[in-house]
Amino acid sequence: MSDETVLELRGITKRYPGIVADDNVDFDLRRGEVHALLGENGAGKSTLMNILYGLTKPDEGEIAVGGKNVSFSSARDAIDEGIGMVHQHFMLIPVMTVAENIVLGIEPTREGVLLDEAGAERRVAELSKQFGLAVDPGALVSNVTVGQQQRVEILKALYRGAQILILDEPTAVLTPQEAGELFEIVRSLKSDGKSIIFISHKLNEVLEIADRITVLRRGKKIDTVPTAGATEEGLARMMVGRDVLLRVDKTAATPGDVALEVEDLHVIDERGLEPVRGVSFAVRRGEIVAIAGVDGNGQTELIEAITGLRKIESGRVTVDGKPIEGHVTARRMLDAGIGHIPEDRHRRGLVLEFNLAENLALHDYDKEPDSKRGWLFPARLVARAARLIKEFDVRGGGPLTRARALSGGNQQKIVVAREVARNPALLVAAQPTRGLDVGAIEYVHRRLVAERDSGHAILLVSLELDEVLSLADRILVIYEGQIVGEHAAGAGEEEIGLEMLGGRKAAA
Amino acid sequence: MTNHVTPLATRGWVPGPRAIAVAGSVLGLVAFWSAIPPFEVRSPLVPIVIGIFAVAAGIWAVTRGSRRVGWGAIASGVIGLALGVAATRSNSSNLETVFTADLIAQILAFATPLTFGALGGMVSERSGVVNVGLEGMMLMGAFWGVYAADKGGSWVVGILGAMLAGGLFGLLHAVWSVHFRADQIVSGMAINFLALGVTGYFFEQLYGQQNIPSGVSTVPNVRIPFVADWHFIGPAIGDLNLLIWIGILFVPLSYVVLFKTPIGLRVRACGEHPRAADTVGINVYAVRYGAVITSGMLAALGGAFLSIGYLGGSFTENMTEGRGFIALAAMIFGNWRPFGAWGAALLFGFSTALAYRLPVYSGSAATLFQALPYVLTLIAVAGVIGRSVPPAADGKPYVKQ
Amino acid sequence: MSEGNAAPTANVPPEQEPSTNFSVRLGVAQRAGGVAVPILTAVLAFLAGGIVVAATGHNPWTAYHGIWDGAGFNWVFHIPWDTNTIHIDAYNFSQTLLVTTTLILCGLAVAFPFRCGLFNIGGQGQYLVGLVVANWIGVSFPSWPTLPHVLLGIGGAALAGAVWAGIAGFLKATTGAHEVISTIMLNWIAIWGAQYVFGQGGPLQGQNPAAPESGSIASSAHIPDFWGTSLLQGLDYGFFVAIAMLVLFWIILNRTTLGYEVRAVGFNPEAAAYGGINVRNKYIQAMAISGAFAGLAGALDMLGFLFQYGVLDVQASQIGFLGIAVALLGRNSAIGTGIAAFLFGGLLFGTTHGLNSNVFDPSLAGNLTSMIQGLVVLFVGGDIFILYLWNARRKVRRRQEAPAPA
Repeated sequence: MSDETVLELRGITKRYPGIVADDNVDFDLRRGEVHALLGENGAGKSTLMNILYGLTKPDEGEIAVGGKNVSFSSARDAIDEGIGMVHQHFMLIPVMTVAENIVLGIEPTREGVLLDEAGAERRVAELSKQFGLAVDPGALVSNVTVGQQQRVEILKALYRGAQILILDEPTAVLTPQEAGELFEIVRSLKSDGKSIIFISHKLNEVLEIADRITVLRRGKKIDTVPTAGATEEGLARMMVGRDVLLRVDKTAATPGDVALEVEDLHVIDERGLEPVRGVSFAVRRGEIVAIAGVDGNGQTELIEAITGLRKIESGRVTVDGKPIEGHVTARRMLDAGIGHIPEDRHRRGLVLEFNLAENLALHDYDKEPDSKRGWLFPARLVARAARLIKEFDVRGGGPLTRARALSGGNQQKIVVAREVARNPALLVAAQPTRGLDVGAIEYVHRRLVAERDSGHAILLVSLELDEVLSLADRILVIYEGQIVGEHAAGAGEEEIGLEMLGGRKAAA
Repeated sequence: MTNHVTPLATRGWVPGPRAIAVAGSVLGLVAFWSAIPPFEVRSPLVPIVIGIFAVAAGIWAVTRGSRRVGWGAIASGVIGLALGVAATRSNSSNLETVFTADLIAQILAFATPLTFGALGGMVSERSGVVNVGLEGMMLMGAFWGVYAADKGGSWVVGILGAMLAGGLFGLLHAVWSVHFRADQIVSGMAINFLALGVTGYFFEQLYGQQNIPSGVSTVPNVRIPFVADWHFIGPAIGDLNLLIWIGILFVPLSYVVLFKTPIGLRVRACGEHPRAADTVGINVYAVRYGAVITSGMLAALGGAFLSIGYLGGSFTENMTEGRGFIALAAMIFGNWRPFGAWGAALLFGFSTALAYRLPVYSGSAATLFQALPYVLTLIAVAGVIGRSVPPAADGKPYVKQ
Repeated sequence: MSEGNAAPTANVPPEQEPSTNFSVRLGVAQRAGGVAVPILTAVLAFLAGGIVVAATGHNPWTAYHGIWDGAGFNWVFHIPWDTNTIHIDAYNFSQTLLVTTTLILCGLAVAFPFRCGLFNIGGQGQYLVGLVVANWIGVSFPSWPTLPHVLLGIGGAALAGAVWAGIAGFLKATTGAHEVISTIMLNWIAIWGAQYVFGQGGPLQGQNPAAPESGSIASSAHIPDFWGTSLLQGLDYGFFVAIAMLVLFWIILNRTTLGYEVRAVGFNPEAAAYGGINVRNKYIQAMAISGAFAGLAGALDMLGFLFQYGVLDVQASQIGFLGIAVALLGRNSAIGTGIAAFLFGGLLFGTTHGLNSNVFDPSLAGNLTSMIQGLVVLFVGGDIFILYLWNARRKVRRRQEAPAPA
């Protein structure tokens, strides 16, 4: 590593409606260093990198590459300045070969017009040898492993002459072995004089690979520290912070009968990976059990399996004492007594083009009193909606208002109203406060506690540790598809935080 | 292809299940062919034996993973066997009416508009724009081709006029699908209706009841010296229309352009993963505009073949009569690949030719052969014989970040 | 999912914008401009058609006026007391309603699956299948009384259409085959199939072995006329069946759980699945219902006034395709489809048989209909284009109201 600064971001600010994604952030990168960008989900890391790669325009601030100020209007400009980015979701074409993917856009030719495939493969083979990135240039991308695909992405950047590489959460999709190989590659690139920005929220790997670490929290840069001397505890404190702890007034839980029992649940996803690997737990009536974890550790798949939206590979789910066997559908799970506040209310929780009365009937439209023998009674839907809108204090519209017209908080109130009004044995709340303002967050929190107190079981999944700590009676920590820790309410935040970040992996 | 760089890939030729299946398909044809002129074997045993071999090859290939081609071989074997046996039972003079050498010429003629249309559709869809407007673009080519040939006094002008008209409708489709991000199916259907109206209107306006004058310059036939006089081969390919040869030439040409040039690589990238193409600096919009306009021009050539090629300088309202849709079917059946599309076009051309010739046996049942392309394509999209898979981003408007 | 979008929900990246399918877009467009957008669409299409007419040396005013009269629209203003269809204007009007009958049903056949997020291009094929079955039933039971005979014909044709369209729905639900491709293929299979059954040697060919035509249906299968005389092809009771189907369409969509499910799937299949709806079943049901509408159209035509059909008629028929334009212009609503069907019904009859050939050449006018049809579909498809025009108009007005730009 030299002291020569190859990249500098000064005072970068990016505002979105209602939020400042990046607030006056400074960042610099030296030749031959690995500089980690650490922060929770929503801290502003990706926005910052999209600005650096020309995909997003900053509202304020400037970018200097090699000491000269630049302004990017597209990825092309960033590439021309020697910046390469490996996106978290790979930008690869599965039906093309490794070599074709790498040379796309700057193809070598024969006789001026023909694609020089042999030349391309040769060039890729050279690059792959030079940087120690083993790939098969002639193989189809769809036939190589995720780890190899990532190497293809890195080669794509190197082929374009990248001196600065942005790796956006590169280990998120990798197995531990592949992650180990990636770290070898990063070290080798470093010794070749490349500079690397390593985005992550996993403390252990940042401490392993980085030379310096910059911590972002809620769009603000907290500090830049050298890795030497940094500790997991210290970084976790900087990441999570101590401000804005939303405390919820609640009494101690009085757990009753088991409402949900999950035994050794396994889920296989579309790509053949196993996002949920042998999860077992139980939720009792009258308690809030929270599943804490960093995004992408199997929470989504776990919830979908429990609510009948995803096939269960093996394992057992028992709702309210009744084991669910055979073909599992969402309808069966609903009827068995599960209510579900989904993590994405736009994609799944609401039909945005439906009015509120119709949205509130989404689970019960085919039962009395909403309908009888296939006949729908819209007046009854409207009457019920009017009652719920009042009861749940939904503002900005009446029963005939379209869901799209409401604010995020009021949309979520509709979802909560629908799920709670069904009086389910178990209420699954997946990131129920995502994207809401403080008032709406408080409302949802109070409502969940009230439901608990009236004897319902609540399973809360949240990426916000604050929320987990302030609501849960019991906390389960999920990491890479497994429950790695269980804590009672009032457990230490740093301890849980460490487990979430894979800092202390419990023997499974 | 030289492959000294990648010793990993085994590109040497070993007869795998795929090759066996292709051989089986050919055997199926032979089973039929043996019973018709010029060979005209009269014993049903021959087609039966050959057909069984074809089916066996197909089954072998299917069990070894080559489902699509394997099922093709099985189908070919069964059909070849059945038709072959039927032919041995039928009267020899009927056979000579149906299966003459110029059956081949006729198949090629019927296949030509389909070939142009299917290649055009393939270019557009490979870039990510669904083109159900092929029929309309073809019809535009047919009318404006004959109009330009008439007014310009030369079939060359006719070809250019057809391509201009087809390209114009391609541009319209591109503006709608790329710029307005319209539903591409809606836009394509609109093209079809519009073309029907525009060509019909201007045909009536410009020619009225008088029809196209008989002396219109048409695309000439290519008479190959010597070959034209050979037995069987001569009548089959010795004297074909120039556009037939151009259509055949365009098959390898479009293969090379799509799969062996940087332009083709970029076009396919836009159809598979436009955001990936965008992040490496490819102008997705420009590529799609170019591809859809090219698509219109190619389809229009197919139309021009109808008006100033094969049918020798004529036009009737709705002249294409659904050939654009068969071309679409051929493209899908051929799995969005040039040779696949051509193969499908030939097969569909064959079924049309049979439909014209079989009435010597039974009256209207021959009509059903016209529906064969659509039945086969329906089966293909349903995935019964190996699913037809379109480009991943086909039909999806791209929005820049 | 990366963090960038976790916080600002108001700024959802484009690829995560949920379910921007065509029914959603149509819904948005409809609310953005109200009824003004479809009216603007139609006006633009007629204007563009008029420009072509003018550019080719005809007077567009005379042409459109001739079409107006040909459709019998003038009857409504001039002689509303004279319901005797011997009078040419009243006769034209009754024929316009006859075409409207078919178009309403063909429009519904496109509109219903649209509400489920499916694009049914196969209306033409489903219509022909209905026509063939109705002819078969009509010819087959000459000794039956009228009511059961007609009902059997209508029911059989609707069922056949439902099965035909149901194939596409079934393939979509089970194998994911795109309904557009399968309905296009089914169209042409039906077109050739109909030519086969009516053609020479075909199973439904009529008495004359030389004529490629179907047999004539028994008089017991004729739907009685209520306006005009059957000698001059009066307007039959099928018209009321079509009107009833408009009402039924509205009732199914808005007053039944099936309609609720169909609309939920159309707007957002994922939310529908989350709500417990079996999305695949809805695809099959929506297509089957759509096919029933188109099959019914074929039956009403066959039993109402055609009575007989030939190979050439099959080749010339386009009415099922016109249903696409009707549904799109009518914004897939019951009342919109009714109005659009009436508009196109008038256009279709007014440019062909109804048109006085001394005013405007019917062979030109018939193609004008295709052109306007294409332009309507084009403009509806390019809703962004129309909305742009619409908003530009409002922007101009706003600018006029507030001369000082902010």
